[in-house]
Amino acid sequence: MAEIETQNVSFSYSEAGDVLRSVSLQIRRGEFVALIGQNGSGKTTLAKHLLGLLRPREGKVVIQGDDIRSKAVGEIARRVGYVFQNPDHQIFSATTREEIAYGPQNLQLQEAEIVDRTKHAMDRFNLTAHSERQPATLSHGIRRKVALASIYAMDPRIWILDEPTGGLDWRSTQETMALLHELNEAGKTIVLITHDMQIVAEHTERCIVMSEGQVVAHEATRTVMERSETLGITPPQAWKLGSALDLHPPPLTVEAFCRNYGEKLAAGRGISVGRS
Amino acid sequence: MSVAPDFYLAGPSWLHAADPRAKLLLLVLTVVLLLVFQNLWVMLAAWLLMLIVHRSAGVPKERIVFLLRALLPVTILMPLIWVIFYPAGEVIISIGFIDIHGESLAEGLTVALRIQAMTFAIFALLFTTDTDTLMQGLVRLKMPYSWGLMLSLALRYVPNFANSYSSVQQAQQARGLEYESTRGLKRVREMMPVLVPMIIGSFRSSEQMAIALEARGFGAPGVQRTYLNVIHMRAMDWAIVTVGLLAAVALLVLNIVYGFGSDLISIFP
Repeated sequence: MAEIETQNVSFSYSEAGDVLRSVSLQIRRGEFVALIGQNGSGKTTLAKHLLGLLRPREGKVVIQGDDIRSKAVGEIARRVGYVFQNPDHQIFSATTREEIAYGPQNLQLQEAEIVDRTKHAMDRFNLTAHSERQPATLSHGIRRKVALASIYAMDPRIWILDEPTGGLDWRSTQETMALLHELNEAGKTIVLITHDMQIVAEHTERCIVMSEGQVVAHEATRTVMERSETLGITPPQAWKLGSALDLHPPPLTVEAFCRNYGEKLAAGRGISVGRS
Repeated sequence: MSVAPDFYLAGPSWLHAADPRAKLLLLVLTVVLLLVFQNLWVMLAAWLLMLIVHRSAGVPKERIVFLLRALLPVTILMPLIWVIFYPAGEVIISIGFIDIHGESLAEGLTVALRIQAMTFAIFALLFTTDTDTLMQGLVRLKMPYSWGLMLSLALRYVPNFANSYSSVQQAQQARGLEYESTRGLKRVREMMPVLVPMIIGSFRSSEQMAIALEARGFGAPGVQRTYLNVIHMRAMDWAIVTVGLLAAVALLVLNIVYGFGSDLISIFP
Protein backbone atom coordinates (compact mmCIF):
# COMPACT_ATOMS: atom_id res chain seq x y z
CA MET A 1 0.00 0.00 0.00
CA ALA A 2 1.31 3.41 -0.96
CA GLU A 3 1.77 5.93 1.85
CA ILE A 4 0.64 8.75 -0.44
CA GLU A 5 -1.36 8.29 -3.60
CA THR A 6 -3.06 10.72 -5.93
CA GLN A 7 -5.37 9.46 -8.65
CA ASN A 8 -6.05 11.76 -11.61
CA VAL A 9 -6.11 14.87 -9.43
CA SER A 10 -7.13 18.04 -11.25
CA PHE A 11 -7.54 21.43 -9.63
CA SER A 12 -8.03 25.06 -10.61
CA TYR A 13 -8.06 28.23 -8.51
CA SER A 14 -10.23 30.05 -11.05
CA GLU A 15 -11.68 29.69 -14.49
CA ALA A 16 -8.30 30.69 -15.90
CA GLY A 17 -7.35 27.02 -16.27
CA ASP A 18 -6.23 23.96 -14.37
CA VAL A 19 -3.23 24.34 -12.10
CA LEU A 20 -3.08 20.55 -11.65
CA ARG A 21 -3.94 18.35 -14.60
CA SER A 22 -4.74 14.73 -13.89
CA VAL A 23 -1.87 14.15 -11.48
CA SER A 24 -1.35 10.51 -10.52
CA LEU A 25 1.52 9.36 -8.34
CA GLN A 26 2.43 6.96 -5.57
CA ILE A 27 4.94 7.48 -2.78
CA ARG A 28 5.87 4.48 -0.65
CA ARG A 29 6.31 4.55 3.11
CA GLY A 30 9.78 5.68 4.17
CA GLU A 31 10.67 7.29 0.85
CA PHE A 32 12.62 10.55 0.69
CA VAL A 33 11.41 12.30 -2.43
CA ALA A 34 11.97 15.73 -3.91
CA LEU A 35 9.10 17.58 -5.55
CA ILE A 36 10.72 19.83 -8.12
CA GLY A 37 9.74 22.02 -11.03
CA GLN A 38 9.75 25.62 -12.12
CA ASN A 39 7.82 28.35 -10.32
CA GLY A 40 4.12 27.96 -11.08
CA SER A 41 4.44 24.30 -12.07
CA GLY A 42 1.97 23.23 -9.36
CA LYS A 43 4.28 21.83 -6.66
CA THR A 44 2.81 23.71 -3.71
CA THR A 45 -0.73 23.25 -5.02
CA LEU A 46 -0.17 19.48 -5.19
CA ALA A 47 1.44 19.43 -1.74
CA LYS A 48 -1.54 21.28 -0.24
CA HIS A 49 -3.81 18.56 -1.61
CA LEU A 50 -1.89 15.96 0.40
CA LEU A 51 -3.06 17.65 3.60
CA GLY A 52 -6.55 18.48 2.39
CA LEU A 53 -5.87 22.24 2.43
CA LEU A 54 -7.06 22.18 -1.16
CA ARG A 55 -9.63 19.70 -2.45
CA PRO A 56 -9.36 18.23 -5.94
CA ARG A 57 -11.92 19.23 -8.54
CA GLU A 58 -11.50 15.77 -9.99
CA GLY A 59 -9.71 12.64 -8.81
CA LYS A 60 -8.82 11.61 -5.29
CA VAL A 61 -6.05 11.75 -2.72
CA VAL A 62 -5.35 8.65 -0.64
CA ILE A 63 -3.19 8.86 2.48
CA GLN A 64 -2.21 5.58 4.14
CA GLY A 65 -5.08 3.86 2.36
CA ASP A 66 -7.74 6.44 3.31
CA ASP A 67 -9.45 8.67 0.79
CA ILE A 68 -9.03 12.06 2.48
CA ARG A 69 -11.43 14.07 0.34
CA SER A 70 -14.11 14.11 3.03
CA LYS A 71 -11.77 14.34 6.03
CA ALA A 72 -11.11 17.54 8.00
CA VAL A 73 -7.63 19.05 7.73
CA GLY A 74 -7.21 18.76 11.50
CA GLU A 75 -7.76 15.01 11.24
CA ILE A 76 -5.26 14.59 8.39
CA ALA A 77 -2.73 16.75 10.29
CA ARG A 78 -2.28 13.86 12.73
CA ARG A 79 -0.62 11.91 9.93
CA VAL A 80 0.71 14.59 7.60
CA GLY A 81 2.94 17.42 8.83
CA TYR A 82 3.26 20.41 6.53
CA VAL A 83 6.05 22.93 7.05
CA PHE A 84 5.18 26.12 5.22
CA GLN A 85 7.66 28.17 3.27
CA ASN A 86 7.23 31.23 5.46
CA PRO A 87 7.50 30.53 9.21
CA ASP A 88 5.87 33.88 9.94
CA HIS A 89 2.57 32.52 8.66
CA GLN A 90 2.24 30.36 11.73
CA ILE A 91 4.02 32.08 14.63
CA PHE A 92 1.52 33.70 16.99
CA SER A 93 2.23 32.60 20.56
CA ALA A 94 3.74 34.69 23.34
CA THR A 95 6.54 32.18 23.93
CA THR A 96 8.42 29.63 21.84
CA ARG A 97 7.29 26.88 24.20
CA GLU A 98 3.62 27.74 23.72
CA GLU A 99 4.14 27.97 19.96
CA ILE A 100 5.53 24.45 19.80
CA ALA A 101 2.86 23.12 22.15
CA TYR A 102 0.04 24.50 19.96
CA GLY A 103 -0.01 21.57 17.51
CA PRO A 104 0.01 18.81 20.17
CA GLN A 105 -2.75 20.69 22.02
CA ASN A 106 -4.87 20.62 18.88
CA LEU A 107 -4.28 16.88 18.68
CA GLN A 108 -5.90 16.75 22.16
CA LEU A 109 -3.04 14.84 23.72
CA GLN A 110 -2.70 14.41 27.49
CA GLU A 111 -1.03 17.34 29.25
CA ALA A 112 2.03 15.29 30.27
CA GLU A 113 2.45 14.12 26.68
CA ILE A 114 2.23 17.73 25.39
CA VAL A 115 4.87 18.88 27.91
CA ASP A 116 7.09 15.95 27.03
CA ARG A 117 6.82 16.43 23.26
CA THR A 118 7.36 20.19 23.53
CA LYS A 119 10.48 19.72 25.66
CA HIS A 120 11.82 17.05 23.32
CA ALA A 121 11.24 19.26 20.25
CA MET A 122 12.94 22.24 21.90
CA ASP A 123 15.93 20.06 22.84
CA ARG A 124 16.14 18.57 19.35
CA PHE A 125 16.23 22.01 17.70
CA ASN A 126 18.39 23.73 20.35
CA LEU A 127 15.56 26.08 21.20
CA THR A 128 15.58 25.59 24.97
CA ALA A 129 17.43 28.90 25.49
CA HIS A 130 14.62 30.66 23.61
CA SER A 131 11.74 28.80 25.25
CA GLU A 132 10.34 31.82 27.12
CA ARG A 133 11.09 34.39 24.41
CA GLN A 134 8.54 35.73 21.94
CA PRO A 135 9.16 33.64 18.80
CA ALA A 136 8.17 36.52 16.49
CA THR A 137 11.18 38.51 17.74
CA LEU A 138 13.73 35.75 17.04
CA SER A 139 15.97 35.75 13.96
CA HIS A 140 14.67 34.33 10.69
CA GLY A 141 16.78 31.17 10.97
CA ILE A 142 15.52 30.46 14.47
CA ARG A 143 11.93 31.19 13.47
CA ARG A 144 12.34 28.51 10.80
CA LYS A 145 13.55 26.12 13.48
CA VAL A 146 10.49 26.99 15.60
CA ALA A 147 8.25 26.17 12.62
CA LEU A 148 10.00 22.83 12.13
CA ALA A 149 9.91 22.06 15.86
CA SER A 150 6.20 22.80 16.02
CA ILE A 151 5.53 20.11 13.40
CA TYR A 152 8.10 17.77 14.96
CA ALA A 153 6.11 17.93 18.22
CA MET A 154 3.05 16.66 16.36
CA ASP A 155 5.03 13.59 15.28
CA PRO A 156 3.38 13.00 11.88
CA ARG A 157 4.32 9.95 9.81
CA ILE A 158 4.51 11.99 6.62
CA TRP A 159 6.45 15.25 6.36
CA ILE A 160 5.88 17.76 3.56
CA LEU A 161 8.34 20.63 3.56
CA ASP A 162 8.01 23.64 1.27
CA GLU A 163 11.48 25.12 0.68
CA PRO A 164 12.65 24.44 4.25
CA THR A 165 16.19 25.67 3.55
CA GLY A 166 15.29 28.86 1.66
CA GLY A 167 17.23 31.80 3.11
CA LEU A 168 19.20 29.63 5.54
CA ASP A 169 22.98 29.71 5.86
CA TRP A 170 25.07 26.63 5.06
CA ARG A 171 25.24 25.36 8.64
CA SER A 172 21.48 25.70 9.22
CA THR A 173 20.81 24.03 5.86
CA GLN A 174 23.00 21.07 6.87
CA GLU A 175 21.24 20.87 10.25
CA THR A 176 17.84 20.88 8.59
CA MET A 177 18.83 18.17 6.13
CA ALA A 178 20.38 16.10 8.94
CA LEU A 179 17.05 16.29 10.76
CA LEU A 180 15.18 15.13 7.67
CA HIS A 181 17.54 12.17 7.30
CA GLU A 182 17.07 11.33 10.96
CA LEU A 183 13.29 11.42 10.50
CA ASN A 184 13.54 9.36 7.33
CA GLU A 185 15.68 6.74 9.07
CA ALA A 186 13.01 6.59 11.79
CA GLY A 187 10.53 5.52 9.08
CA LYS A 188 8.98 8.86 8.19
CA THR A 189 8.10 9.64 4.60
CA ILE A 190 9.62 12.91 3.44
CA VAL A 191 8.36 15.05 0.55
CA LEU A 192 10.69 17.96 -0.01
CA ILE A 193 9.76 20.88 -2.26
CA THR A 194 12.88 22.69 -3.33
CA HIS A 195 14.64 24.53 -6.14
CA ASP A 196 18.10 23.65 -4.79
CA MET A 197 19.39 20.90 -7.06
CA GLN A 198 22.42 20.32 -4.86
CA ILE A 199 20.12 19.40 -1.98
CA VAL A 200 18.06 17.21 -4.30
CA ALA A 201 21.15 15.41 -5.60
CA GLU A 202 22.75 14.96 -2.20
CA HIS A 203 19.76 13.99 -0.12
CA THR A 204 16.85 12.52 -2.03
CA GLU A 205 16.31 9.07 -3.50
CA ARG A 206 13.64 9.92 -5.99
CA CYS A 207 12.28 13.02 -7.70
CA ILE A 208 8.84 14.02 -8.82
CA VAL A 209 9.23 16.59 -11.58
CA MET A 210 6.28 18.85 -12.32
CA SER A 211 5.68 21.06 -15.30
CA GLU A 212 2.54 23.02 -16.13
CA GLY A 213 0.45 21.13 -13.59
CA GLN A 214 1.53 17.66 -14.65
CA VAL A 215 3.97 15.10 -13.32
CA VAL A 216 6.49 14.75 -16.15
CA ALA A 217 8.88 12.42 -14.31
CA HIS A 218 8.82 10.32 -11.15
CA GLU A 219 12.08 8.46 -11.08
CA ALA A 220 15.34 7.92 -9.22
CA THR A 221 17.22 11.18 -8.69
CA ARG A 222 20.10 9.99 -10.88
CA THR A 223 17.74 9.16 -13.76
CA VAL A 224 16.13 12.59 -13.47
CA MET A 225 19.56 14.25 -13.63
CA GLU A 226 20.42 12.17 -16.71
CA ARG A 227 17.22 13.46 -18.33
CA SER A 228 17.81 17.01 -17.08
CA GLU A 229 17.93 18.61 -20.50
CA THR A 230 14.60 17.21 -21.66
CA LEU A 231 13.02 17.90 -18.26
CA GLY A 232 14.31 21.49 -18.17
CA ILE A 233 16.28 21.00 -14.96
CA THR A 234 19.70 22.38 -14.14
CA PRO A 235 21.77 19.63 -12.49
CA PRO A 236 24.12 20.47 -9.60
CA GLN A 237 27.62 21.78 -10.24
CA ALA A 238 29.29 18.47 -9.32
CA TRP A 239 27.21 16.67 -11.96
CA LYS A 240 27.94 19.28 -14.64
CA LEU A 241 31.67 19.31 -13.88
CA GLY A 242 31.79 15.50 -13.76
CA SER A 243 30.01 15.30 -17.12
CA ALA A 244 32.38 17.85 -18.62
CA LEU A 245 35.33 15.76 -17.40
CA ASP A 246 33.81 12.55 -18.77
CA LEU A 247 33.37 10.93 -15.38
CA HIS A 248 31.11 7.90 -15.66
CA PRO A 249 28.69 7.84 -14.07
CA PRO A 250 28.54 11.61 -13.42
CA PRO A 251 28.71 12.33 -9.68
CA LEU A 252 25.67 13.64 -7.79
CA THR A 253 27.65 15.15 -4.93
CA VAL A 254 30.92 17.00 -4.46
CA GLU A 255 32.22 14.07 -2.41
CA ALA A 256 31.38 11.63 -5.19
CA PHE A 257 33.07 13.95 -7.69
CA CYS A 258 36.27 14.05 -5.64
CA ARG A 259 36.23 10.27 -5.26
CA ASN A 260 35.54 9.54 -8.94
CA TYR A 261 38.01 12.14 -10.14
CA GLY A 262 40.67 10.88 -7.75
CA GLU A 263 40.13 7.32 -8.98
CA LYS A 264 40.34 8.44 -12.56
CA LEU A 265 43.59 10.31 -11.92
CA ALA A 266 45.00 7.35 -9.98
CA ALA A 267 44.11 5.04 -12.87
CA GLY A 268 46.22 7.34 -15.04
CA ARG A 269 43.62 7.50 -17.72
CA GLY A 270 44.06 11.21 -18.20
CA ILE A 271 41.32 13.79 -18.41
CA SER A 272 39.62 14.94 -21.56
CA VAL A 273 37.31 17.91 -21.24
CA GLY A 274 33.95 17.30 -22.91
CA ARG A 275 31.12 19.75 -23.31
CA SER A 276 31.13 22.71 -20.99
CA MET B 1 -1.99 31.20 -6.41
CA SER B 2 -2.41 34.30 -8.53
CA VAL B 3 -2.93 37.47 -6.57
CA ALA B 4 -4.12 40.76 -8.03
CA PRO B 5 -1.72 43.52 -6.97
CA ASP B 6 -4.69 45.84 -6.41
CA PHE B 7 -8.36 46.19 -7.38
CA TYR B 8 -7.56 47.71 -10.78
CA LEU B 9 -8.69 45.93 -13.94
CA ALA B 10 -7.13 47.25 -17.12
CA GLY B 11 -9.59 48.03 -19.90
CA PRO B 12 -10.42 50.33 -22.80
CA SER B 13 -13.72 51.75 -21.45
CA TRP B 14 -14.75 55.41 -21.15
CA LEU B 15 -14.41 55.16 -17.37
CA HIS B 16 -10.86 53.83 -17.66
CA ALA B 17 -9.95 56.69 -19.98
CA ALA B 18 -11.50 59.37 -17.76
CA ASP B 19 -9.26 61.57 -15.62
CA PRO B 20 -9.19 60.44 -11.96
CA ARG B 21 -10.25 63.93 -10.83
CA ALA B 22 -13.40 63.70 -12.98
CA LYS B 23 -14.12 60.26 -11.52
CA LEU B 24 -13.53 61.51 -7.97
CA LEU B 25 -15.98 64.36 -8.57
CA LEU B 26 -18.57 61.89 -9.92
CA LEU B 27 -18.03 59.74 -6.84
CA VAL B 28 -18.52 62.65 -4.44
CA LEU B 29 -21.66 63.79 -6.30
CA THR B 30 -23.05 60.24 -6.27
CA VAL B 31 -22.47 59.84 -2.54
CA VAL B 32 -24.08 63.24 -1.79
CA LEU B 33 -27.12 62.42 -3.93
CA LEU B 34 -27.47 58.97 -2.39
CA LEU B 35 -27.49 60.58 1.06
CA VAL B 36 -29.98 63.29 0.06
CA PHE B 37 -32.56 61.06 -1.61
CA GLN B 38 -34.80 58.95 0.63
CA ASN B 39 -37.02 57.22 -1.91
CA LEU B 40 -36.96 53.45 -2.37
CA TRP B 41 -37.52 53.61 -6.14
CA VAL B 42 -34.92 56.32 -6.68
CA MET B 43 -32.48 54.20 -4.68
CA LEU B 44 -33.35 51.18 -6.80
CA ALA B 45 -32.77 53.25 -9.96
CA ALA B 46 -29.42 54.46 -8.56
CA TRP B 47 -28.46 50.87 -7.78
CA LEU B 48 -29.34 49.77 -11.32
CA LEU B 49 -27.43 52.75 -12.73
CA MET B 50 -24.33 51.67 -10.79
CA LEU B 51 -24.61 48.16 -12.25
CA ILE B 52 -24.89 49.68 -15.74
CA VAL B 53 -21.82 51.86 -15.06
CA HIS B 54 -19.85 48.77 -14.01
CA ARG B 55 -20.92 46.79 -17.05
CA SER B 56 -20.25 49.73 -19.40
CA ALA B 57 -16.73 49.89 -17.91
CA GLY B 58 -16.23 46.23 -18.76
CA VAL B 59 -16.12 45.02 -15.15
CA PRO B 60 -16.52 41.21 -15.35
CA LYS B 61 -19.68 39.64 -13.94
CA GLU B 62 -17.58 37.66 -11.41
CA ARG B 63 -16.35 40.88 -9.80
CA ILE B 64 -19.91 42.22 -9.56
CA VAL B 65 -21.10 38.94 -8.05
CA PHE B 66 -18.15 39.10 -5.63
CA LEU B 67 -19.22 42.57 -4.47
CA LEU B 68 -22.86 41.52 -4.15
CA ARG B 69 -21.83 38.49 -2.13
CA ALA B 70 -19.57 40.59 0.12
CA LEU B 71 -22.49 42.96 0.72
CA LEU B 72 -24.98 40.17 1.36
CA PRO B 73 -24.84 40.38 5.20
CA VAL B 74 -25.62 44.13 5.08
CA THR B 75 -28.32 43.58 2.48
CA ILE B 76 -30.06 41.09 4.75
CA LEU B 77 -29.29 42.83 8.04
CA MET B 78 -30.60 46.30 7.17
CA PRO B 79 -34.22 45.30 6.35
CA LEU B 80 -34.17 42.96 9.36
CA ILE B 81 -33.05 45.71 11.76
CA TRP B 82 -35.67 48.13 10.45
CA VAL B 83 -38.43 45.53 10.56
CA ILE B 84 -37.59 44.43 14.10
CA PHE B 85 -36.52 47.67 15.80
CA TYR B 86 -38.31 50.45 13.90
CA PRO B 87 -41.87 49.27 13.21
CA ALA B 88 -43.77 51.88 11.16
CA GLY B 89 -46.74 51.87 8.80
CA GLU B 90 -49.24 49.11 8.22
CA VAL B 91 -48.57 45.46 8.93
CA ILE B 92 -48.28 43.75 5.55
CA ILE B 93 -47.50 40.25 6.78
CA SER B 94 -46.97 38.41 10.08
CA ILE B 95 -44.39 35.69 10.43
CA GLY B 96 -44.81 34.00 13.81
CA PHE B 97 -44.64 36.72 16.45
CA ILE B 98 -42.96 39.21 14.11
CA ASP B 99 -45.17 41.75 12.34
CA ILE B 100 -43.62 43.11 9.19
CA HIS B 101 -44.57 46.74 8.69
CA GLY B 102 -44.50 47.96 5.10
CA GLU B 103 -42.77 51.26 5.84
CA SER B 104 -40.07 49.61 7.95
CA LEU B 105 -39.34 47.07 5.25
CA ALA B 106 -39.16 49.83 2.58
CA GLU B 107 -36.84 51.89 4.82
CA GLY B 108 -34.56 48.91 5.45
CA LEU B 109 -34.46 48.09 1.72
CA THR B 110 -33.68 51.73 0.91
CA VAL B 111 -30.75 51.76 3.33
CA ALA B 112 -29.46 48.44 1.97
CA LEU B 113 -29.70 49.71 -1.63
CA ARG B 114 -28.00 52.99 -0.63
CA ILE B 115 -25.05 51.10 0.93
CA GLN B 116 -24.82 48.86 -2.11
CA ALA B 117 -24.96 51.77 -4.57
CA MET B 118 -22.28 53.69 -2.61
CA THR B 119 -20.03 50.63 -2.53
CA PHE B 120 -20.50 50.10 -6.25
CA ALA B 121 -19.70 53.77 -6.89
CA ILE B 122 -16.45 53.49 -4.90
CA PHE B 123 -15.48 50.27 -6.66
CA ALA B 124 -16.29 51.78 -10.08
CA LEU B 125 -13.42 54.15 -9.29
CA LEU B 126 -11.11 51.47 -7.88
CA PHE B 127 -11.72 48.94 -10.66
CA THR B 128 -11.01 51.48 -13.41
CA THR B 129 -8.18 53.56 -11.90
CA ASP B 130 -4.74 52.18 -11.18
CA THR B 131 -3.35 53.29 -7.85
CA ASP B 132 -0.61 55.50 -9.31
CA THR B 133 -3.11 57.46 -11.40
CA LEU B 134 -5.50 57.73 -8.46
CA MET B 135 -2.72 59.01 -6.24
CA GLN B 136 -1.69 61.56 -8.85
CA GLY B 137 -5.30 62.70 -9.16
CA LEU B 138 -5.53 63.22 -5.40
CA VAL B 139 -2.21 65.05 -5.26
CA ARG B 140 -3.30 67.35 -8.13
CA LEU B 141 -6.38 68.10 -6.02
CA LYS B 142 -3.94 69.45 -3.37
CA MET B 143 -3.74 66.40 -1.18
CA PRO B 144 -0.18 66.10 0.29
CA TYR B 145 1.83 63.49 -1.64
CA SER B 146 2.54 61.43 1.49
CA TRP B 147 -1.22 61.13 2.17
CA GLY B 148 -1.87 60.09 -1.42
CA LEU B 149 0.88 57.49 -1.22
CA MET B 150 -0.50 56.20 2.08
CA LEU B 151 -3.95 55.78 0.55
CA SER B 152 -2.64 54.10 -2.58
CA LEU B 153 -0.48 51.70 -0.56
CA ALA B 154 -3.41 50.86 1.70
CA LEU B 155 -5.58 50.06 -1.33
CA ARG B 156 -2.83 48.05 -2.94
CA TYR B 157 -2.36 45.96 0.17
CA VAL B 158 -5.99 44.92 0.63
CA PRO B 159 -5.76 41.95 -1.81
CA ASN B 160 -2.33 41.05 -0.34
CA PHE B 161 -3.90 41.04 3.09
CA ALA B 162 -6.64 38.68 1.87
CA ASN B 163 -4.02 36.38 0.38
CA SER B 164 -1.99 36.49 3.58
CA TYR B 165 -5.12 35.56 5.56
CA SER B 166 -5.59 32.48 3.41
CA SER B 167 -1.92 31.41 3.81
CA VAL B 168 -1.89 31.91 7.56
CA GLN B 169 -5.15 30.07 7.98
CA GLN B 170 -3.79 27.12 5.99
CA ALA B 171 -0.58 27.11 8.06
CA GLN B 172 -2.61 26.91 11.27
CA GLN B 173 -4.99 24.31 9.86
CA ALA B 174 -1.89 22.24 9.11
CA ARG B 175 -1.25 22.31 12.86
CA GLY B 176 -4.76 21.14 13.64
CA LEU B 177 -6.66 24.44 13.98
CA GLU B 178 -10.39 23.86 13.70
CA TYR B 179 -13.08 26.40 14.38
CA GLU B 180 -15.60 25.00 16.81
CA SER B 181 -17.57 28.15 17.42
CA THR B 182 -19.11 30.36 14.76
CA ARG B 183 -19.67 33.52 16.77
CA GLY B 184 -18.86 35.65 19.75
CA LEU B 185 -15.73 35.90 21.87
CA LYS B 186 -14.99 32.21 21.55
CA ARG B 187 -14.70 32.57 17.80
CA VAL B 188 -12.41 35.60 18.24
CA ARG B 189 -10.23 33.52 20.59
CA GLU B 190 -10.10 30.72 18.04
CA MET B 191 -9.11 33.25 15.39
CA MET B 192 -6.09 34.49 17.37
CA PRO B 193 -3.62 32.04 15.75
CA VAL B 194 -4.63 33.56 12.40
CA LEU B 195 -4.97 37.22 13.43
CA VAL B 196 -1.70 37.53 15.37
CA PRO B 197 0.63 36.39 12.53
CA MET B 198 -1.26 38.68 10.17
CA ILE B 199 -0.84 41.70 12.45
CA ILE B 200 2.84 40.92 13.05
CA GLY B 201 3.30 40.38 9.30
CA SER B 202 1.62 43.73 8.55
CA PHE B 203 3.93 45.58 10.94
CA ARG B 204 6.92 43.79 9.49
CA SER B 205 6.01 44.55 5.87
CA SER B 206 5.10 48.18 6.64
CA GLU B 207 8.49 48.63 8.30
CA GLN B 208 10.24 47.06 5.31
CA MET B 209 8.16 49.17 2.94
CA ALA B 210 9.15 52.36 4.81
CA ILE B 211 12.83 51.44 4.60
CA ALA B 212 12.52 50.52 0.91
CA LEU B 213 10.79 53.86 0.16
CA GLU B 214 13.39 55.90 2.02
CA ALA B 215 16.19 53.95 0.36
CA ARG B 216 14.76 55.07 -2.99
CA GLY B 217 14.65 58.73 -2.07
CA PHE B 218 11.17 59.13 -0.60
CA GLY B 219 11.04 62.28 1.53
CA ALA B 220 14.25 63.70 0.08
CA PRO B 221 14.26 67.44 0.98
CA GLY B 222 14.05 70.15 -1.65
CA VAL B 223 12.89 67.84 -4.43
CA GLN B 224 10.21 68.75 -6.96
CA ARG B 225 8.26 65.52 -7.54
CA THR B 226 7.73 64.45 -11.14
CA TYR B 227 5.59 61.63 -12.60
CA LEU B 228 6.14 58.95 -15.20
CA ASN B 229 2.65 59.37 -16.65
CA VAL B 230 1.26 62.88 -16.24
CA ILE B 231 -2.54 63.15 -16.17
CA HIS B 232 -4.40 65.81 -18.17
CA MET B 233 -8.01 66.93 -18.21
CA ARG B 234 -9.20 66.39 -21.78
CA ALA B 235 -12.36 67.59 -23.50
CA MET B 236 -14.07 64.31 -22.61
CA ASP B 237 -13.18 64.78 -18.94
CA TRP B 238 -14.59 68.32 -18.91
CA ALA B 239 -17.72 66.94 -20.56
CA ILE B 240 -18.05 64.30 -17.81
CA VAL B 241 -17.56 66.97 -15.11
CA THR B 242 -20.10 69.30 -16.74
CA VAL B 243 -22.74 66.62 -17.27
CA GLY B 244 -22.18 65.27 -13.76
CA LEU B 245 -22.50 68.69 -12.14
CA LEU B 246 -25.56 69.67 -14.20
CA ALA B 247 -27.30 66.38 -13.44
CA ALA B 248 -26.51 66.68 -9.74
CA VAL B 249 -27.74 70.28 -9.55
CA ALA B 250 -30.90 69.37 -11.48
CA LEU B 251 -31.64 66.44 -9.17
CA LEU B 252 -30.99 68.55 -6.06
CA VAL B 253 -33.29 71.31 -7.35
CA LEU B 254 -35.99 68.73 -8.10
CA ASN B 255 -35.52 67.34 -4.61
CA ILE B 256 -35.49 70.64 -2.72
CA VAL B 257 -38.11 72.56 -4.74
CA TYR B 258 -40.48 69.78 -5.83
CA GLY B 259 -39.77 67.14 -3.19
CA PHE B 260 -38.62 64.63 -5.81
CA GLY B 261 -37.42 61.49 -4.06
CA SER B 262 -37.86 62.91 -0.56
CA ASP B 263 -40.69 60.54 0.38
CA LEU B 264 -40.00 56.89 1.11
CA ILE B 265 -42.50 55.40 -1.34
CA SER B 266 -44.00 58.16 -3.53
CA ILE B 267 -41.59 59.62 -6.06
CA PHE B 268 -43.35 63.01 -5.99
CA PRO B 269 -45.13 63.46 -2.64
